[in-house]
Amino acid sequence: MASPLEQFAIEPIVRITVPDLGLDLSFTNSSLWMGIAVACSYGLVMAGTRQRALVPGRLQALVELAYEFVAGMVRENAGREGMRYFPWIFTLFMFVLFGNLLGIIPGAFTFTSHIIVTFTLAIGVFLGTTAVGFYIHGLRFLTFFVPSGAPKIMLPLLVPIEILSYCFRPISLSIRLFVNMMAGHTMLKIFVGFAVALGILFGWLPFSIIVALNGFEIVVAFLQAYIFTILTCLYLHDAIHLH
Amino acid sequence: MRRTHGYLAVLAVLLPVVASAAEPGGESRGLPQFDPTHFPSQIFWLVVFFALLYWLFTRKALPRLTEILEERQDRIAADLDRASQLRREAEEAYARYERMLDEARGRAHEALVRAQERIARETAERTAELERVTQARIREAEAEIARFRDRALTELGEVAAEIVQAATSRLAGLEITPEEARAAVARAVEGGGSRP
Repeated sequence: MASPLEQFAIEPIVRITVPDLGLDLSFTNSSLWMGIAVACSYGLVMAGTRQRALVPGRLQALVELAYEFVAGMVRENAGREGMRYFPWIFTLFMFVLFGNLLGIIPGAFTFTSHIIVTFTLAIGVFLGTTAVGFYIHGLRFLTFFVPSGAPKIMLPLLVPIEILSYCFRPISLSIRLFVNMMAGHTMLKIFVGFAVALGILFGWLPFSIIVALNGFEIVVAFLQAYIFTILTCLYLHDAIHLH
Repeated sequence: MRRTHGYLAVLAVLLPVVASAAEPGGESRGLPQFDPTHFPSQIFWLVVFFALLYWLFTRKALPRLTEILEERQDRIAADLDRASQLRREAEEAYARYERMLDEARGRAHEALVRAQERIARETAERTAELERVTQARIREAEAEIARFRDRALTELGEVAAEIVQAATSRLAGLEITPEEARAAVARAVEGGGSRP
């Protein structure tokens, strides 16, 4: 019986190496599903907007719903100024959401269950929002780390804490997504293992649990994409408004 | 009891499965996620695909989507504008209609009053005219009656004088002139009696 962790194994499809740097940039199953996620999310938006209907059909309503959902999230959490960065947030949301959702398909690879992927995304968010903060406020952005209203004597203690908590943001952001996706998929695989091992006689029991878990995983896929995006919006808010 | 046995049977089957599942497979060394071999490839392709998706979205999909949404927003706003404009026009038309109705009512009332006045005036004029004509006729008739009476009286005097003359010549054999006869009649009439 295969290990429930085998689904996370990365298998190169096209081996690409950069000998000068000693880098292995192989196109893997993970890369393949990233590509599929890109194709699906872009295809969905394009298919949904093809009609350009004044009164949207089902597909267009779905796409508009996604747009309004993310736009509302940005507006409410990052403010009107945050709408400048809406394309980034929308791309992030769609990419993570499709990564999560496609991963539920049996046999698919879930690239959001890899810490390096979520961490790279989170670092991108971290660097991006920090850059926005410095871009808008210049060096005044550093006052973000000075809690307003705190007694001056406490500042030597508070400022390092603030900086530390700020730097922990990408870590918590990436680990949350990674752990959620990995745990769900591991659990699914374990129950699949039960179902196979128990055969026809008792196999229905873990199988029904798998069905329920699948529904649960769909919720988690949405929820985690939502959380990832909304936290990005909040970080953006901090960068734009400084508290 | 039988149920408990059933559960126990399930457990007996499950336990080895759980054990085998929890145990990592032979060739795997811990979590594949923490194996740094593929980190460069993962980061590289993630950046590539994320950038690709961003580029695709910003270049084509999102402008199209915002265009559709803005178009709808504009359309709705335009429709609302038009609706409010039509409503305003309708209200204006109604006000105009009311005003016209009021004016017409006023004019009708005025015309009625004028007609009544004219009728009253004409009636009064005609009544006065009729009165005047009637009075004139009455006066004429009275004058005629008076004339007739005078003439009748005069003629009666003449006749009486002739009768007096004739009677005097026949009865008394006296020849009197018509002047004397007339004087005698006049005296008799003035005397108030029938006897001279």
